Amino acid sequence: MIRLQGVTKRHPNGLTALADVSLSIAEGEFVFLVGPTGAGKSTLLRLLYRAEIPTSGRVFLARREITRLSARATPALRRQLGVVFQDFKLLPRKTTFENVAFALQVTGTPPDEIRPRTRAALELVGLESRADALPWQLSGGEQQRVSIARALVRRPPLLLADEPTGNLDPRTSWEIIQLLSRINLRGTTVLVATHNKLIVDILRKRVIELAGGRVVRDEDYGLYASQA
Amino acid sequence: MAAALGYGAAEAWAAFRRNGLMSVAAVLTIMVTLLLVGAATAVAANLRLMARILEGQVEVVAYLRDGLSPAQVERAAAEVQSLPGVRSVALVGRDEALGRLQEALGERVSLRDVIQTNPLPDSLEIALSTAGRAREVAAAVAAMEAVEDVTSGGTLLDRLLAATWLLRGGGAGAAALLAGVALIIIMNTIRLTILARRHEIEIMQLVGAGGWYLSAPFVIEGALQGTLATLLAALLLFPGYLVVVDRVQGLLPFLPLMEARILLPALGGAMAAAGVLVGMSGSSLALRRFLHS
Repeated sequence: MIRLQGVTKRHPNGLTALADVSLSIAEGEFVFLVGPTGAGKSTLLRLLYRAEIPTSGRVFLARREITRLSARATPALRRQLGVVFQDFKLLPRKTTFENVAFALQVTGTPPDEIRPRTRAALELVGLESRADALPWQLSGGEQQRVSIARALVRRPPLLLADEPTGNLDPRTSWEIIQLLSRINLRGTTVLVATHNKLIVDILRKRVIELAGGRVVRDEDYGLYASQA
Repeated sequence: MAAALGYGAAEAWAAFRRNGLMSVAAVLTIMVTLLLVGAATAVAANLRLMARILEGQVEVVAYLRDGLSPAQVERAAAEVQSLPGVRSVALVGRDEALGRLQEALGERVSLRDVIQTNPLPDSLEIALSTAGRAREVAAAVAAMEAVEDVTSGGTLLDRLLAATWLLRGGGAGAAALLAGVALIIIMNTIRLTILARRHEIEIMQLVGAGGWYLSAPFVIEGALQGTLATLLAALLLFPGYLVVVDRVQGLLPFLPLMEARILLPALGGAMAAAGVLVGMSGSSLALRRFLHS
């Protein structure tokens, strides 16, 4: 599903965000990307949804090389994946339903399909009852769930999450991660960049640790911190 | 793409209303621009018409020597007719010339009382097919034996041509400048809309919305502003033109003015095209600058 080959990302100001990173994630996997702030986790994710391009190396998504993907082809790429962020990124003046439907609206979905598919996404995250609420009326956890519903409404094979629990309390964080786990069990590949030590340690999924832009650890059933 | 346009139209209208006063300001400013450009064009069109008519009336008059036989006069006329640039030659006999002079003087003076013999010569009134050749024709005619003296509207015509050329060029320059101003104003207004909608733009980019969904709302809003401005400008300009034409023809009835029937449809079409074009370009540019920043 995802493959990085010797990927290096150097910023114009001289900072090296990623250095010679190679990794491979298969379809259906659930992977935690851990490491201190500035280790390159966000940069790696941004390479995957082509918010940035690598300075050198190659990036593959679903066996297609996206290293030098043109800006024109990027929308099509992004329709193939869902991205969730720490700050939810919801439209403040749209309801839950409208926020999720938005993703279908602006990607050319036939109008008669929008309603049922939006409903299905809301059911998946357990928010059918809050369909008419505005973001300010929702709790942090609920907002994140709306965000996840929007990310999944087009049923992409890959879900990227950049610190999804960063703004949430421990219990809500746990609920969100459980949701992501459930989504993964349904077949979606999930990659989560996180600081949340507790969650990582409980779930014992594959853990890839970045430090200073390099992969320093990659183990299945991993813990947040190295066991060595 | 049709779906994107539908989405764009709905969003554009909502944004137009939400921006309220800013939209009004933009529309009014563009309207003023179009008004000025339209008025300038109307004036220029009329000047061109006048110039054309005046040019068509340019004449060279050749005064013939006394004592020529009818045959000699005829030969002279034929020779002039054959000159390049000459459209027609008319012989004005001396008696006829006297009659014209009397007419011009009116009833105040009776020439018969004042002069015994007719001092006026026979003359050839030479109409030109090309106003620019006046000088050459006058020179050629003056060189003829049978011709005593030649007059032509030479200098006056040159000045007229120069003036109209300047006005045309100046008008075009002013129009371009004003169009540029209108463009900048639209860019500014649309920039506000873009900033107000930056969250939507960000998320559209995130979920992979196609280019049309991104640009349609703004391009349509720009076109909307341009169209409204054109409508308002036309509403002011067209009746205004009719009034002005009426007044001017009252004062100077001999002045040839372009008929509203002919001028206004063409002018209206051009203004509409310009308005929409400026609107759409302004918003495209504003969006592009935002996305690249």
